[in-house]
Parts: sequence; C-alpha cells; structure tokens
Amino acid sequence: MSERARAGARERESEEGRARDRARGRRTAERLPIAPEADQKPLDFAIVKRIFSYTKPYRRLRNGLFGLVVLRSIQLPLVTWATAKVISGPVANHDVRGTAFGVAGYLALTGFTSFCFVYRQRFALLLGEAVVHDLRLQVYEHLLRLPMSFFKKVQVGKLIGRITSDVDVVRVGVQDVAFISIVQIGSMLVSAALMLYYDWKLCLVVLIMAPVLWTLLRHFRRLASAAYRAQQESFSRVAATLAESVSGIREIQGFVRQELNGGLFEQLIYDHSRYNMVSAKQSAIFLPMLELNGQLFLAILLVVGGYQALGGEVPLQSLIQFLFLSTAFFGAISPLGNQYNQALTAMAGAERVFDLLDTQPDWQDAPDAQDLPVIAGRVEFSHVSFAYEPGRPVLHDLEFTALPGQTVALVGFTGSGKSSIVNLVAKLYLAQSGQILIDGQEIKSVTSSSLHRQIASVTQDNFLFAGSVLENIRLARPSASDEEVRAAAVALDINDVIDDLPQGFATEIGEKGAGLSLGQRQVVCFVRAMLADPRILILDEATSSVDTVTESRLQHALMKLLRGRTSFVVAHRLSTIRHADLVLVLDQGRIVESGNHRELLALGGRYARMYQQFVSSTDLGVATLGK
Amino acid sequence: MSELTHTQLLRRLLSLSWRYWRQCLAVFGYQVVLLALGVSGLGLSGLAIDVIRHALEGGTPAPRWPLGFTPPPWTTPGLLGLLGGLVLVAALARALLNYRYSVAAGELLQMRLVPELRTGVFDKLQRLSFRFFDQNASGSIFNRVTGDVQSVRSFVDGVLLQGAIMLLSLAVYLSYMLRTHVLLTLSCLALTPLLWLFTNLFARWVAPAYRKNRELADRMVLAMSEGVSGIQVTKVFGREQAELARFEAHNALVRDQQRAIFVKVSRFGPTIDFISQLNIGVLLLYGGSLVARQAMTLGDLIVFAGLLQQFSAQVSSMAGIVNTLQQSLTGARRVFEVLDAPLEVEDPKQPRAPTELRGHLRFEHVEFGYAKDQPVLTDLSFDIEPGACVAVLGATGSGKSTLLSLIPRFYDPTRGRILLDGVDLKDLALDYLRRNIGLVFQESLLFHSSVAQNIAFGNPEASREQIEHAARVAGAHEFVQQLPQGYDTVLEEGAVNLSGGQRQRLAIARALLLEPKILLLDDPTTAVDAQTEHEVLEAMDAAIEGRTTIVVANRLSTLRRADWILVIDDGRIVERGTHAELLKNHGIYYRAASLQAADQDSIVLLEALGRRL
Repeated sequence: MSERARAGARERESEEGRARDRARGRRTAERLPIAPEADQKPLDFAIVKRIFSYTKPYRRLRNGLFGLVVLRSIQLPLVTWATAKVISGPVANHDVRGTAFGVAGYLALTGFTSFCFVYRQRFALLLGEAVVHDLRLQVYEHLLRLPMSFFKKVQVGKLIGRITSDVDVVRVGVQDVAFISIVQIGSMLVSAALMLYYDWKLCLVVLIMAPVLWTLLRHFRRLASAAYRAQQESFSRVAATLAESVSGIREIQGFVRQELNGGLFEQLIYDHSRYNMVSAKQSAIFLPMLELNGQLFLAILLVVGGYQALGGEVPLQSLIQFLFLSTAFFGAISPLGNQYNQALTAMAGAERVFDLLDTQPDWQDAPDAQDLPVIAGRVEFSHVSFAYEPGRPVLHDLEFTALPGQTVALVGFTGSGKSSIVNLVAKLYLAQSGQILIDGQEIKSVTSSSLHRQIASVTQDNFLFAGSVLENIRLARPSASDEEVRAAAVALDINDVIDDLPQGFATEIGEKGAGLSLGQRQVVCFVRAMLADPRILILDEATSSVDTVTESRLQHALMKLLRGRTSFVVAHRLSTIRHADLVLVLDQGRIVESGNHRELLALGGRYARMYQQFVSSTDLGVATLGK
Repeated sequence: MSELTHTQLLRRLLSLSWRYWRQCLAVFGYQVVLLALGVSGLGLSGLAIDVIRHALEGGTPAPRWPLGFTPPPWTTPGLLGLLGGLVLVAALARALLNYRYSVAAGELLQMRLVPELRTGVFDKLQRLSFRFFDQNASGSIFNRVTGDVQSVRSFVDGVLLQGAIMLLSLAVYLSYMLRTHVLLTLSCLALTPLLWLFTNLFARWVAPAYRKNRELADRMVLAMSEGVSGIQVTKVFGREQAELARFEAHNALVRDQQRAIFVKVSRFGPTIDFISQLNIGVLLLYGGSLVARQAMTLGDLIVFAGLLQQFSAQVSSMAGIVNTLQQSLTGARRVFEVLDAPLEVEDPKQPRAPTELRGHLRFEHVEFGYAKDQPVLTDLSFDIEPGACVAVLGATGSGKSTLLSLIPRFYDPTRGRILLDGVDLKDLALDYLRRNIGLVFQESLLFHSSVAQNIAFGNPEASREQIEHAARVAGAHEFVQQLPQGYDTVLEEGAVNLSGGQRQRLAIARALLLEPKILLLDDPTTAVDAQTEHEVLEAMDAAIEGRTTIVVANRLSTLRRADWILVIDDGRIVERGTHAELLKNHGIYYRAASLQAADQDSIVLLEALGRRL
C-alpha cells in the first residue's frame, strides 16, 4: 500500500495544480518524473522576503492561509492515524459498536479536513493571483517610465517572458512553496511524534532511512538536471534548424536542398531522441528505487516489528499504526524535494523580474521641470554631442537653428546621425553635452509630456495598435470627435484611401497593423500626425518602406502636413529634400554642409556630388521630363 | 482540404500505432507482470499481519495462504522471515522489471515513434507548395513538427497504453477484491461512479472557463507587447497613462475572471477527496463488522484498503486519459494535415531535362490566384529572348513577386502556361528546372553556417574554386577575404554582422554558383541603403551577363539597366517597353520615375558645376 498511499498524499497537495492542468488541457504525464534541478544558486532570503512583501496588502488572506496550513499539517497525519486506529482497535477487537463510533469519528475528522482544504486552496490561489496581478502592473508601469534607450537594448519577447513565465513561477512560489512545505514538514513531524509514541525503536529505523531517501533524491535530481540540459540543448538545435527551414523554405526549394536538409534534420532528431532516452533511463532507475525503498522498509517492519510483536514487546496495534504512519512520513519527502526545486525556480524567476524593476532609468525629467507653454516652434542646437553608449559618440558638437515653420532636411548615409537628431528633438534621449532650446527654453528644463503634446512623428515602422483605424488616429488627440478625425484625413486629401478600406474608419486593424498594406498604414500614421496638429513634426524615413508608385501619392499629403510646422525630415530620396528650407548634410555625426538645396548645389561639395550621382543613376532624359 | 472527422482521425492514429504493435505488446506485457507483483507484495504484507495475529490471539482465523499454498511447518518467526523475504524479492523483481518497462517504452516512443514521425513531417513540409506556408503562420508550422508530434505520441502512451493498463489494473484489483469479499467490494465501490462523474463534470465546466482565461491572458500579453513595440509612439504622443490604464484593464480582467474559477477549483479537490474517504469509511464500518464476525481476516481488510485506494486512483486517471485523447486528436489532425497535404507542384510522369538550355522564356495567357476567384495575375503574355534582362515595376501587391515565383514552379499557373525553350515548365524535371534558375530575394535569408557553405547552398559539393569564382563575379570576394576567417567565417543568425549590400552580394554569389541560365531578382536593392546600393548594382551587372534575367525593381537605378520593362498593376500588364518609350507614355512608369528624378532647375545647376569642375 505504501507506494499508492504516498502518491495519494502527494496528489492531495498538488490537486489544485493538476485540476488546473487538466482543465487547461496540459498533459501532466509529459512532465518529467523527477523535476530537474534548475541552474541554481542557493536560496536567497532577501529575494524570498521581497517576494513575500507583495503579500502585505493581502495580510488577512495570507495570515488566514498560514493558520489553515498549520492546521492541515496536523490534520493529515491524524486522518492516517485515525484509519489505523480504527483498524487496529475496535476492528481487531471485533467491537462492532466501537467500529461504528470510530468510523463516525473518522468521517467527522476527514469531513472537517476536507472543509478546511477548500479554504486553504482558495486562499492560496487568490493570494497567488493577487500578487501576480500586482507584479505585472508594477512591471508594466515601470516599463513605461523607462526611456527609449532601454528598449533599444532589449527584445520584446524577453519582456513578455517577465510578465508571463517569470511572474507565473513567482506565483507558484507564493501560493505553493512555503505553504506546501509547511504542510509536509508538519505532517512529518506529527507522524514522527506519533510513531515515537508507539515505538521508539521502530521509529529510529524510519528516521535513519529518511536521510538516505533524501540523499538519493538529491543525487538523482542532480543527474537529471545534467541530462535535462543536454536534452534542452539538443532540442534547441532541432528548433533552430526547423525555424531556419521554415523561414528559408524559398531558398530550400529554390536551390533544391530538400534531400540534404532532410538528412541533416533526421540526424538532429535522432540525436535529440538519444538524450531523451538518457533522461528516460534515469527516471527508469530512480522511480523503482524509490519504490524499493518503501518495500524495504515494509520488509524490515514485518520482520523486526513482527518479532517484537511476537515477543510481546510491541502490541500488534502499534505495528499496524506503523504500517500506516510510516507511509505518511515517507510520502512527505518527495514532495518536499519538489517544493525545494520549485522554490529555486521561483527565486530565479523573481530575480529576473526584480532585476527589471530595479533597472534605473538613465534619466528622468528634472524634478523642477516646467510645463512648456504653447510654442512657436523654434528649435536650436548648440554644441550638442550625443552617444547611445558611453565612449561611442554618434553626434559631435552640432550647431543649427530651425525657425518656426521651417522644414529641415537631414541628409547622410546610414549611421551618420540623422535619426539621433530627431530623437533628441523629441526628447526620447538626452544629449550628454550642449543645449537644445525649444523657443529658447532648454529641453532639459521642460517636462517631457508638455513637449510631447506639441510634437508628432511619422516613422518608417509606422506602428499601429490593434483596434480600429479611428482609434489609432485618435491616439493623437483622444478628445477629437469623429468629424475632426475625418477632417484631418480630408485636409491631407487621403480620406479616400481610408474610405476604401472594408469598413472605412471603423476597419479593425490586427496585431502590428496586420490587414493593412504598408501604404495604408502609412496613410493612417499621416492622419494621426495631422490630427495631433503639432508645432514640431518629425518624419523619419516616413515613406521609405512604401513602393514608389504609392509614394508618389503620399508625397502630396506630406507637403500638406509639413505646411506651417517646424519639421525635421529624414529621407533617403533626395527628391524629397529639394523643398527644404534648411538641408543639413551629415557625416559621421558632424554637420559637413548646411544651406538650402540651391545653395548646396552651388557650393559644389558633398551634397552636390551626392546629387550628381543620384541624377546620373536616374538619368531619365531631361528633355522628356521638362515641363 | 476537407477536415478529418474524429472517427477518421482515430482510425488513422490506430493504424499508425499498429506499426509498432510488437513494441506496444512488449510494453504491455511488462505491465501485466508488474501489476501481478505489486498485488502480491500487498497481499504478502496482509498475510504477515494475519500470521502474527494468529500466533498472538488464538481466537482469530487462520491466515489464508494464497493459491492453495500450504506454508512450511515453520515457527511463526520463520514464516515472518519468509514473508519479509518474499516481499523483498517481489520488490526487487518489480524494480528490475520497472526499469525494463521504462526503457522499452522509451525505445518505442523516443527512438522510434517520435523521430520517425518528425522526420516524416519535416520531409513533407519541405516539399509542400508555398501555398501551405502562406496559409499557416510559421509558429504553427513549427509546432506541427514539435508539439503536435508529441500529441500523437501521447496518443500511443497516454491513451492506448495507459488505457490498456488502466483497464487491466481495474480488472485485477476488482477480481482480487471480489475474491476476498463480493458484497464488501460492491458496497465500497458504490460511490466510485460518483468520483468519475464529478471529475468529468468538473473538467467540462472548468475547461471553457480556462479557455476563456487563456484568451484574456493572451489579450493582456498582447496589450503589453504592443505597448512595448509601440513605445515610441506612446512616448511621442504622451500616452503613457492611457497605455497603463489599457493594460491594467486587461490585467484586472484576467484576475477577476480567475476568481470564479478558483471558487470552483477549490471545492473540487476536497470533494473528490472526501468521496474517497467515504469509501474508506464504508470499508471500515462494513469490513470491520466482517472481521468482528470472523468472516474476514484483519490482514485482508488492510490489503483491501490498499486496493481500494489504487482503484480510486485508476478511476480518476480515466478523466486524464479522456482528456489526453482529445488533445492528441487535435495535435494529430494538424500532423495529418501536413502528411496528407497534396503536393500541388509535382514532377511530371516523364520528366524532360534537355542538355542544352538557351533560356528562352515565354508566358502564354498566364493566370494565377492564391485563392479561387481572386486572381492575382490575369492574362499575362510576354516573351523574353535568351540573355535579355526584363524589369518589372508595380505597386506593392500588384503581383510582381508572384510572377517571379511561377517560374521556379513555387506555384503553378491556374490557367495558361509558361514555356522554357518551347517546353512547358510542367514537363521539365522539377529539380532540373530549379537548378537552372538563380534566385535572389528582397531580403535573402542567409543561414547560420559559414560563408562558403552559404554560397554553396545549392551544391554542397562545389569546390572552393567554384565558390570563389561565384563570389568574385558577385563582387563579394574582397569583403569575404577581410572577414576574420575568410570563407570559413560562420555567419551570425540573420547575418546581422554583414551590411545589407554584403548580404545581397552573397545572395547573388549563391545564385550564380550553379551557373544558371535564368536569373530571377526580386527587388534586390530595396532593403539596401543608398550608400551600398551601387555595390549591389555592380554585382547585378556582372551577374546578368549572358543570362535571361527578370528583375523586380522600384528604383530607377535598377530599372534603367533592363532591356525592357513590364509595368504591372492589379495583376495585369499595363505598360511595356523600353525606358525611353515608357517615359513618353506619361503613365505609371513616368510618375514613379519622375518622383526619383532630378528637377530641371537642379540639372542646370549641376551642369554648370560640371563645367566648372
């Protein structure tokens, strides 16, 4: 009976988890039989403390749970004891009345235990969910506070991992680890105490075997973790090849590589399978050994205990008690080991979350920053130098002034610093030295939000949120009426593009702008910027992802959008630059030439050369194009 | 493709499993022996109790030795020693067999079923037409080879084997219990159907709630991932607070919906628990009275309690098996979808492979659509002389890239035909055709392997000379030599350590390695910035020499290099002719061209400049 009873005890504790898995459609069977050891540091109590600080707002829930858990750790061995008591007492003595009373008592006890268990589970789940909710919110709130430089460095996928898998292991830490451990340790103590009461000698046998079992468990966990890592690594090779094959299917079919690729993949698959086998073999040794241990104890109990019983040293009753209580005692060891692993995993997850929460923004608005009043739009750079990473400057000592309403074109090769300039104007980054003045006010002394209310930008990646076209446009000015949104589109003369969408302005856009063509997405972004009616407008390669045919259409709208605003235009096509009031030619973060198109051509310098190259490569036969 | 019904799926799965019937049978055989040993271990300990009790208390019934076995006339301690020894022997045998069982199951699943299925699915995937890849997100395709294959596996071990084991165990336990006492067995099991019923009801109730929860959670994650990807928009429009509120709304929805689930979940476990406790209660009460009346031994009662627990455990595992079945069906459907997907593009019955190719391409009334009644290309007819270079211009979605993909037969035209040197493409051996076509895409995927291996992608046996020659023609040789390990430098994933121009030149070298007669270039400079564009153009100039070339292009710099140009709009040819002819046309081509052209004013200035310089 030992093995099953043990499994029963384990199951009861993890019932909530299993029920959840079952309902969510996860396959519990696929979990490794021995939870592998995570890559581990020992328990760090500072982190544990910090995790539990999140339960503070739910103090009553937490304390109630604590009480219930302590109660349960006494109840569980008592139920086992009661069973044995009834069997070894009234049943063995043929006392039918006593049996009936015993059973009534037993049922009352288990009924009460089950009743408490309802609340013990509910409280734990509620506590876990509450903490997880708060953590997620805190993470997201923190993310929104971090400056752009942070997002340049991290992948979205990793951040999502923080609010999903990492937060979820923290949940397990909060709702399970501490409380289940208390239950298991408590049950062990109570069972041990009861056994001690019945027969201290037999109890000693049990106590000697416990550390053996524990050591065995740890040893195999360590082995398993090595195998698990090898398994993971071989799988990541499979996954990488598979992913490459899926995204490179054009190349594979186009270059007739199916045969060869198939062979390579097969090798990887079998390689992975071999590692799976290693793992399977380990648990094939471990699980039977665990069972063997239980059976060994049973044999000892029968022989040693039996001799003692025959000699009258121990009543038969105690022997039966031992049969039951020892299973309760041993049954707690394996779950405890699991909980220890869970604790380490939860800690690792928490550490990643806390690392993120502890990331200090590189900069924040100055505490005494003022709101910017409505501006005319004069932008002045004075000795501005800037680097994304210390020691690798991308802008050197920039000097220029954009007058209100002027269009400034930024020209230069990739990496010359064009986008960095517009990022500084929008205060997405702060310059390390020099001053940027907006209407004469130093940009550092004004609040970001007041500045952002007067700036709009259209960039190459034309990001749209999931939602309707209308909602996306209204993002620029949430208070705008439907008519105002439409008016903005009409003003740009591109309302027909939106009207042509399946549901016009009400058309739903999928994740990352799905469902709209690049050109249509760009149109929405243009209208969004128009609705914002900004004093400063930034166009960072606004039309470069659009094909030339569509671009010719957008060019017209672009001109209307620019009118009357201070605009910064980064463009890769020189044709867009002709109409700028000021052209800044950049090379490796320095302004090498500045002036308007005609002036720069007349100068005969770098701009003129670039333009000439452009003209010669697009020689259309001037005569045919002339008006 | 018609959906497979559940019955069809089940039949397919069973026939798939039938392939491994020998192994399945062996695994099952181990379980039978294991079960027998387990039950006898349990029986032996009960027997030991009775032996002791019999020796201690004279009035108790004599122990019932199983199978008519008569104990040797030993003393009680001797008998106890024997029983303890037997328990140990049974346990050792079990441990050994358990190991053999796990290994056998592992061999079947890990070494046979999973890899064979994965390899099969992968092989098929690689040969499928692009339509399949268009219709399925890459994540979903990925999952078919990984997760979904595991679902099929779980059908074999989680449903077939576990199910058989469960039935067998139930039968053994039941017969053992019935042999001990029929009425006791029945009364103890009276509540068991309730257990099963509750588990099922619960799963049925809670599954949709969890599905709903998963949707809510997905939306919450989406809100966050959008917020992060669109952080620049959020910041520039000063929308942080609104963003936070949006996220919190999703976040709170997840939490609030969980609450209702928690209430039910927390009731379920204890209820199930209590039902099995009731069973024990019945056993103690009824069994106790049986022991009192000497109708049953105490040891039997203890054994009975053990069996009862195992019985309940098996019954509750039934819900798990049913659930696994459902999931394995879902996974299997997706696996079979791949395995059954028709190869739209197939080799002809009698493939032709002319020794000499000239490279004369001819489209005859070609029509094509990804979906029925939604033609992407309509009535295309044109003729490209061997060695000519033709450019294709059109807006995004006008069908340019589709046109290109018809030539290596990534798709077949729905109407009309394409001829190469007068032979319908469908009559040529597929591999032969593709080996004679060089392909360069907008953003060519380079693989995470060495430069040489990437260039030799189409012919891994190519010599270093061949590789270097191709690289030289594509203007890649110089920069490759400057890489840390030259041609043996391993490219990073996505070749991010190379510039756009360098990547495209490697792609051109790769296309040239097989000396194809036909070269297809899909807007090769579009993802390249202006500064490296000319590098790619020069490589292109060398590459198109002596090959029939079709190049999709947006930039004038590329368009000008073509002998003539096709302008496509909405899947139709709307303009065709040389650069000069099309400019006179004042149509789409003219508009696109003039956008990129210098204005009169600037030209005059430049000319003045030219005289001065």
